[in-house]
Amino acid sequence: MTYALVSLSIPLLSALALMLAGARLSNRNAGIMAIVTSLLSLGAAWFCLLDVAAANQSILLNLGGWENGLAIRLRLSPLSSLLLLFTAFMHVLIGIYAGFSRRGVSRDFWTLSSLLHGSLAALWLSADLFNLYITLELLGLTAVAMVALAGKKAYKPAANYLILSLVASLFYLLGVALVYGRYGSLDVVLLGLQTQSDTTTRIALLVMTAGLMLKAALWPLHLWLPAAHANAPTAVSALLSGLVVKGPIFILWLLWSEVAPVDLAQQIGPVLAVAGMIALVAGGLSAMRSPYLKTLVAYSTVAQLGYAMMALGLLMAWQLPQMHVALWLFVIAHGLAKATLFLAAGEMQTTLGTKRVSGLRGATQTVPVAMFAFAVAGGSLIGLPPSGGFLAKWVLLEPMLSSPQNWPWAFGVLLGTLVSAAYIFRVVAISFDRARINPPDVRPDRLGHWLALLPALMVWGMALIGEWLIEFLSGGGV
Amino acid sequence: MTLELMPDIVLGALLLLMAWGALYAPTRYDAMALFVAFGVVVALIWARLGAPDLALAEAAIGAGLTGVLLMQAARQLPAEASVTGKRMPWFGSSLLFLVLTCAMFAAHILTDSSFKQAGIDASATRLLGGPTVPEMVTAALPNSGVSYPVTAVLLNFRAWDTLLELLVLLLALTGVRQLYPGTPQHPRANTASPPQAWPVLLSWARFLAPLLVLLGGFLLWRGASGPGGAFQAGALLASAAVMLRLTGLLPPLRWSSFLLRLAVILGALLFLGVALASLAFGDGWLVYPTQWAGALIILIELAATLSIAVTLSLLVIGESEDLSS
Repeated sequence: MTYALVSLSIPLLSALALMLAGARLSNRNAGIMAIVTSLLSLGAAWFCLLDVAAANQSILLNLGGWENGLAIRLRLSPLSSLLLLFTAFMHVLIGIYAGFSRRGVSRDFWTLSSLLHGSLAALWLSADLFNLYITLELLGLTAVAMVALAGKKAYKPAANYLILSLVASLFYLLGVALVYGRYGSLDVVLLGLQTQSDTTTRIALLVMTAGLMLKAALWPLHLWLPAAHANAPTAVSALLSGLVVKGPIFILWLLWSEVAPVDLAQQIGPVLAVAGMIALVAGGLSAMRSPYLKTLVAYSTVAQLGYAMMALGLLMAWQLPQMHVALWLFVIAHGLAKATLFLAAGEMQTTLGTKRVSGLRGATQTVPVAMFAFAVAGGSLIGLPPSGGFLAKWVLLEPMLSSPQNWPWAFGVLLGTLVSAAYIFRVVAISFDRARINPPDVRPDRLGHWLALLPALMVWGMALIGEWLIEFLSGGGV
Repeated sequence: MTLELMPDIVLGALLLLMAWGALYAPTRYDAMALFVAFGVVVALIWARLGAPDLALAEAAIGAGLTGVLLMQAARQLPAEASVTGKRMPWFGSSLLFLVLTCAMFAAHILTDSSFKQAGIDASATRLLGGPTVPEMVTAALPNSGVSYPVTAVLLNFRAWDTLLELLVLLLALTGVRQLYPGTPQHPRANTASPPQAWPVLLSWARFLAPLLVLLGGFLLWRGASGPGGAFQAGALLASAAVMLRLTGLLPPLRWSSFLLRLAVILGALLFLGVALASLAFGDGWLVYPTQWAGALIILIELAATLSIAVTLSLLVIGESEDLSS
């Protein structure tokens, strides 16, 4: 647990130090400091993962040493240690991209990304509904401020995002208040032992779910996402799509897999799963028709989150532990792949001087590395073997295929796969159009392009440690 | 229905009326005035519900500082924007939705037995047959370092929440600063000089400011044993700063000053430092040694009050020259 707390407090301290230093630290040095602190946090997260793997169970900590129910409880499960590691890794990677590639970022990016890192770490560790609310608030505000970093054109999406995010937080808070009023406790573990499916609990859970779905941009509450994610600076889009939307999903999963009574979860599960299926198709179709590259990638986030929602819904409906694994493999694979897609899209936009998908003609020749990264990460989104996306999909499909009455769900997954393939191949096909090449405006920034490739390779590498990942996530109190 | 319920019903109706007015007032000025009144009614309701801490915070932040912020913002809008214009259809629908939700809740509370079993407040709910949360708070209070339960919860039992809340405040400021990127080219030209204040207002401000500082200090000190504490004290100090700034008695606060930035982060920094020190040398994250708990809480509250006061003032009166680095 100590390592987890260290991994959590390093980025927070770094954010405070960066704020204090202000203009005294040059932009470049601020970047180096943020990257080094993320690296330190990554190291701590790694040791934390080793600890949990050795203990092979969740570790609980009552903050302040007070008794259960009075104290806020932190919980370090195998999943949260993995997510800590994942968060720190993404921050290192995107930090290096933001600091050293050609597209600079303003100084406040570093403060905000450190704060984002800290708040995500706090969220993964928390097992207290009200504490989760505060981390959710932190997450939302950081994301809004980061979208606003892009300057005037992003103010409107940022303002919309802010208002929706606040409304969503209030919905969640209302649910927390109802739960506290009903059970007199905020602790996830204690609540899990005593919830019943009476009217109060139902309303509380539904209100919280609505708020969290709005925050996570799950269909049908996703309309704010494409504008916000497509208008942010490239590094920020990668962080938002790869990490920020996963926070509310974590809380949603915590609510329905632990707090909610089983019979209620079984009732609501199919609804969520169907919504996930619709998200897959509707988001995919929007991505397919989008004329702009970054909007396409943003809509693909909406579509891919459909898989996560489907896994969650089926987890609730069937109460199969395997679905936990599927859900979190999706989240991690999608985070890595989406980081690549946004970085590659941003790099291609700058190099080719166009925001349109049609401007990518001949990209296989002019920006080969970035285009390769895009295609490779796209392969994981489609779920081509042996990528991380395939691994997740396989875990999801296995129980569906094993009994014939579940085949309709498998059909939904198949449909989603087809649509994902359609929008990825649309981009790839245009990039092979060498007859009418769109000449690059500037020489490609080599570092940026190779950095974009790195997470794509990692998501394919997930398959190599697939067995270990599945075992790690299914063992010990996830 | 008993007579005791009458003030509550009146307050509730007043609240809805103010909310309606703030949303649908014909001019922005009316809407803002109604919004401030709305904040006052909310504060009254909190006081009526026996939560004086919340009432204080709501009156100072919700009604006072937010009101000033709205007026400041309205001053910068062009004159033709002062009329709210046509009704936006989604306002109506969202309001309808809200009313329906409330009605649903009311119906549900009246009919559902789970609330009746549990009693509406949490104090009657036992946790797995164990003690209730208020009982636990009372039992642990002697070891918490302070004698007022709310402060004990905020700064000891659930100190982690408060630490994160301080970060939320910092983040709000950082977010607002994004709206003023870079150093303004002509710092004098694009910021209006503060309007010449009316002499009576000036002397009032000179008289009120020290009183507000005194009151803030009192609230902070009182937090250990009664309603009060860092957030309320910080908000009062901020209102003093805002008043002085609006009357032109206070020079612009500048983000480029190291001391100002230190003041802004001091609360969170000290709090995090205490947490780390307790992790490294003590019994664990945010475990205060019992004999030092009182002193540590006062220290953290002092730093937090300063940070909250400076941050809130910057949020309310910060303009380009205050906030850009």
